[in-house]
Amino acid sequence: MTHLLPLLFYIAAFILWVRCLMGGSQRRGPLAAGILTAVGVVSHGAALVQFWLQYGELPLVGFGAALSSLAFVGALALTLMLPLREMSRVAIALLPFIIVVQAVAVLLGVEPTPLNLDFEGAGFVLHVSLAFLGYQGLALAFAAGVLYLIQHHELKEKRLGRFFHFIPPLATLDRLARIGLWAGFACLTLALAFGWAWTMEHRGSLEMGDPKVVWAVLSWLVFLGVLGARFGGGRNDYRGALAAVIGFGVVICSYLVLRLTVGGEGLFL
Amino acid sequence: MDSRTHAVQPGAGRGGAVSLAVVGVSHHTAPVEVRERMVFGPSEAANALVTLREEAEVEEAVLLSTCNRTEVYLFPNRDDRPVRSWETLLERKAGQLDRRLGDYLFERRGDRVVRHLFQVSAGLDSMVTGEAEIQGQVRDAYERATTLPVDPPMAGPVLNRLFQMALSVGGQVRAETAIGEGRASVASVAVELARKIFGSLGGKRVVILGAGQTGELIVEALSREGVKAVTVVNRTYERAVELARQVHGHAMEMDRLAEALRSADIVLSSTAAPHPVLTRPIFEEAFPRGIHRPLLVIDIALPRDVAPDLADESEVFLYNVDDLRKIVDEQVRLREGSVPAADRIIRAQSDEFRAWYASLEVVPVIRRMRGQADEWRHAELERLLRGMDHLTEGDRARVEEFSRRLVNKMLHDPTVRLRKGMDRGGGADLVDAVRFLYGLEEGELPSLDGDG
Repeated sequence: MTHLLPLLFYIAAFILWVRCLMGGSQRRGPLAAGILTAVGVVSHGAALVQFWLQYGELPLVGFGAALSSLAFVGALALTLMLPLREMSRVAIALLPFIIVVQAVAVLLGVEPTPLNLDFEGAGFVLHVSLAFLGYQGLALAFAAGVLYLIQHHELKEKRLGRFFHFIPPLATLDRLARIGLWAGFACLTLALAFGWAWTMEHRGSLEMGDPKVVWAVLSWLVFLGVLGARFGGGRNDYRGALAAVIGFGVVICSYLVLRLTVGGEGLFL
Repeated sequence: MDSRTHAVQPGAGRGGAVSLAVVGVSHHTAPVEVRERMVFGPSEAANALVTLREEAEVEEAVLLSTCNRTEVYLFPNRDDRPVRSWETLLERKAGQLDRRLGDYLFERRGDRVVRHLFQVSAGLDSMVTGEAEIQGQVRDAYERATTLPVDPPMAGPVLNRLFQMALSVGGQVRAETAIGEGRASVASVAVELARKIFGSLGGKRVVILGAGQTGELIVEALSREGVKAVTVVNRTYERAVELARQVHGHAMEMDRLAEALRSADIVLSSTAAPHPVLTRPIFEEAFPRGIHRPLLVIDIALPRDVAPDLADESEVFLYNVDDLRKIVDEQVRLREGSVPAADRIIRAQSDEFRAWYASLEVVPVIRRMRGQADEWRHAELERLLRGMDHLTEGDRARVEEFSRRLVNKMLHDPTVRLRKGMDRGGGADLVDAVRFLYGLEEGELPSLDGDG
């Protein structure tokens, strides 16, 4: 129930954003949606703390628990953007990702892993937290990229309809995508460094065949590719937005493939 | 009359209808040649209000004068003197007209005045539906009437309430509907497009090709948004210099167009050239490796100045005059789609004003109802006691106390229910019923500020 509550708040916030897009109140709607997201984040944080107190471990390892933490990081980032009025509208593209992740977590059950694992220590916590921040950075770049492509399409097609009015300017979306990409890339790079240091210390080798390692390295390479598409051969905002959308798709698809084929039972991956 | 004892006479014998009138000209009733002759500046408007007070003893009046309307709101609407006086003022202001003034005037009375003002304030009665400027103009007109040094103030209790509600309704309609969304002129659409591409326009560079009048309007609108540098490129260099001086920019010869383009964010073209001026070869000379940043190109020339195939570049956003007109039409349609929602708000608020106005009537009616009952009580008591000389003073006092309590008891429930009925908005009929049942005559009612 505790992890369902934030999910309901996020869904309600998303519905309000859609109503704003369809021509509802342009002042009170975003404010109400922002309040619902913030309340969702508070209840989500409380649920994660309760998990920690109840099981004596951070919600970072078990499948449902890790997904819930990932959704929390995204929702928290979104809440921090709420005062930036235009930027906060990216919520309409980011909230569906957060909702899906949290819904899967709730359906699978937010519980600790039944396996007896030795995932512990500050290095491990930093590794997972930074990795989640990295993935959410890419999710943010994806959300901004989707809106950029829609707005670009509206401008090229000369249609100044609901999407045109609702979606922020291209320059704003491009700035947001850049922030997401650079912050995400920095976090994921640090996450890899902490992860490798932790693995070397506890296992004595890099475990390159571990699906988590494969996915993390692949995601890092996707980041590189997206940044390369954006800045290589002269800056190109449109190409950058397209690359962020494709890159995020690649990361999600590769996760699903690894999860369904070689993922550990009860684990995030 | 002192403002503190300003008597409000709602209904004024009209069965509870709002005693308001609005008379004037608007874009619905008069062409611009007529309207422009009836525009009152701030001091002229103030003088007109004073004249209305002096000549027609108007109690409350607010004069709203914009390029699309000149109208006066009057309270109370008892006789035709204020309206006639206002018509004389308008005739004096307009001078000789080709038709009689009455042909251009509109007039609304009663509840329709409330609805009219709310529609005006919300931009529903504007030439361009949903325009925002009118809200400020309504506020200015109201403040002028409030601050005019006359006693009592021109905006008394009724017009105060009416205009405050109108401003609030205007804000509510704009906040809760899409009535004010989008732009409804070519210049404002150009600015909106630029904003949706670049975000803030501060520091952006504009290149103007040619020197048409619409182009100047767009440049003015862009300048207000903070564009940094304007470069004017024209076939005649002297004309370029002249326009550059007007827009605080600098001039360039046409053969340096590619150079000007290299640093441009926005290109605005309005030459009278019979063939395209900004061609593919010039574009490729400016951007030999292709363009990797957004470039907004607005081509308002006929025939077109810009080669249409430049729109194939993913970062070039090219709009010609037909595109812009189509967008303006779409924006107006989008706004008009919000009219029913705006109307619902206006209807609800009009009902609220009506209920407030009706509640003004209940206080004097209750007072008269109780006064009437007390008169009857006194008369009957006197008749009763006249034949009962044997009663002691104490007995007489007890009988009198009994009669007072009885009357109070009988009037208590009707009084409470009357007040409640007013709060629920069904006031006018109730007041009429009480007047009828108690035989209360209509006429001068006591001051609003008295007790009760």
